Amino acid sequence: MRPAEVSYRLRSFGAVNWRGLWSLYRREMKRYFKYAIEALGGPIVSSLLFLAVFTLAAGEEAYSRVVAGGEGPDLGAFIAPGIAAFSLALSAFHGGCFPVLYDKLEGMITDVIGAPLTEGELVFGFILSAATMGLLTGAGVAGAALLFVDLEIQDPLGVLLFAVLLSLVFATLGFIVGLWADTWDRCAAVETFLVMPLGLLSGSFFPLASLPELGQQAIRLNPVFYGIDGFRAGFIGWSDSSALLGAPLLAGLFLALYALAWHLIRRGYKIKP
Amino acid sequence: MTLACLHPPPVGDMSSVMGDMIQTPPRPRDIGLVNWRGLWTLYLKEVRRFLNVFTQTVLAPMITSLLFLAIFTLALGRGDLNFGDVPYAQFLAPGLIMMTMIQNSFANTSSSILISKVQGNIVDVLMPPLSETELTIGFAAGGVSRGVIVGLSAGLGMWLFVDISIHDPLAVLYYGIMASLMLALFGMLGGIWAEKFDHIAAVTNFVIVPFSFLSGTFYSIERLPENWLFVAHFNPFFYLIDGFRYGFIGHHDSQLWVGALAVAGVNFALWLVVHRMISRGYKLKP
Repeated sequence: MRPAEVSYRLRSFGAVNWRGLWSLYRREMKRYFKYAIEALGGPIVSSLLFLAVFTLAAGEEAYSRVVAGGEGPDLGAFIAPGIAAFSLALSAFHGGCFPVLYDKLEGMITDVIGAPLTEGELVFGFILSAATMGLLTGAGVAGAALLFVDLEIQDPLGVLLFAVLLSLVFATLGFIVGLWADTWDRCAAVETFLVMPLGLLSGSFFPLASLPELGQQAIRLNPVFYGIDGFRAGFIGWSDSSALLGAPLLAGLFLALYALAWHLIRRGYKIKP
Repeated sequence: MTLACLHPPPVGDMSSVMGDMIQTPPRPRDIGLVNWRGLWTLYLKEVRRFLNVFTQTVLAPMITSLLFLAIFTLALGRGDLNFGDVPYAQFLAPGLIMMTMIQNSFANTSSSILISKVQGNIVDVLMPPLSETELTIGFAAGGVSRGVIVGLSAGLGMWLFVDISIHDPLAVLYYGIMASLMLALFGMLGGIWAEKFDHIAAVTNFVIVPFSFLSGTFYSIERLPENWLFVAHFNPFFYLIDGFRYGFIGHHDSQLWVGALAVAGVNFALWLVVHRMISRGYKLKP
């Protein structure tokens, strides 16, 4: 008797393995939701705390003189979008860094490398999911803040544009750091010494005018400043910088980082023997 | 075959050979009332555990507190914002140091115990001849050390930027140690109770961070509405921050002796609870 003829036909796919890409994306998002208490609940609570603490510390009298010598938004309206943008950036960074580092340390990265995904699809899947995580956290924080702060969105498109740009930049940065890091300590070090200072000293909590001239120029060198400022401008219609400068700058930064990430993955940097 | 195999030596000779080979088993180490060596070993283990990753455990909190100082001073401290007689930065610095100590003492003991539990190596601590009291002291001392080291480094960092002077060193010392101890004990409680990292993350995010933020770190509680002012006086964190700040700037919102007693009382109660949990083996022993 002839053995039963079994034929496994290879699934054929075109230029892009959409199903594989979708699986990778879904896998990452499931991770995010599994740790939603930490990834979403934590930032929301700490952002609201920041908001409360700023408002209480400033007191009534300091309220109106924060921006532009008394003209412009009040403190709450100024800070709330800044906090949301910062949470978004930090969360996108975590979303880019943690999964790839975790997979590397646990040896599970082979599951992803072994799958029929091209280098381009790998990078795209990881970064897109990380950016989504950032957007989700940012939306959660902004939503929670809107419950307490009287804020209307002036320019929804601007908000969306800068939210997407910020999350993409930090997702890609996180992904590169995750590839490079060999231990959690290194990931934490980059977060402490690069991401937190860039994010917090970017005008997320104070207008440029509150700084001396030298500080203002230093902040103008910080690309995150343009992201947070542009994001906030979409809410309050008042900004320290021009979106025409900020948006292309962030997009360029993202493309450069993305090219680097792609290059690293193609070389199998630290993920292939 | 050699002759020696066929003709074993007489019994008398044999025993003399064996006597050289088998040594008498070591006598158990005499432990007096306190197992000092064991306690010291546990303490060293706790301290080395966090020093091993000091970027995360010492440098990161220090940088974060400096960033907080920067953003709050820049956003609020322009010109004339004073609290009592002192500029805002001087008011804020002690509060931030205390907040950092609070968060890190808690993180140290809770993560140490929880990681040991999850990985199963908690038996390495439960098996040795250490009493419940020695275990409590060892872990708590590790947490206090982390708190003090982080507080010192944050204070030194701020000292570069802010004019920090010490008004009453005794108060600084008392409240610094008491705060670290309180949160170290609370962290032990959390670490013993928690079964996974989510639990501790939830306690950190929803209890420790909110309390350390809202207890007067960033503002004088006179700013609170009337009914909240009353609530604040039931919050042990408030007394910690207020007393610690008094040690620096010489101004306090509450009665000092009430705060000192309240803090000592809370620590005593926490100590009893933790001691009882360990002696009962709650969630530690099967």
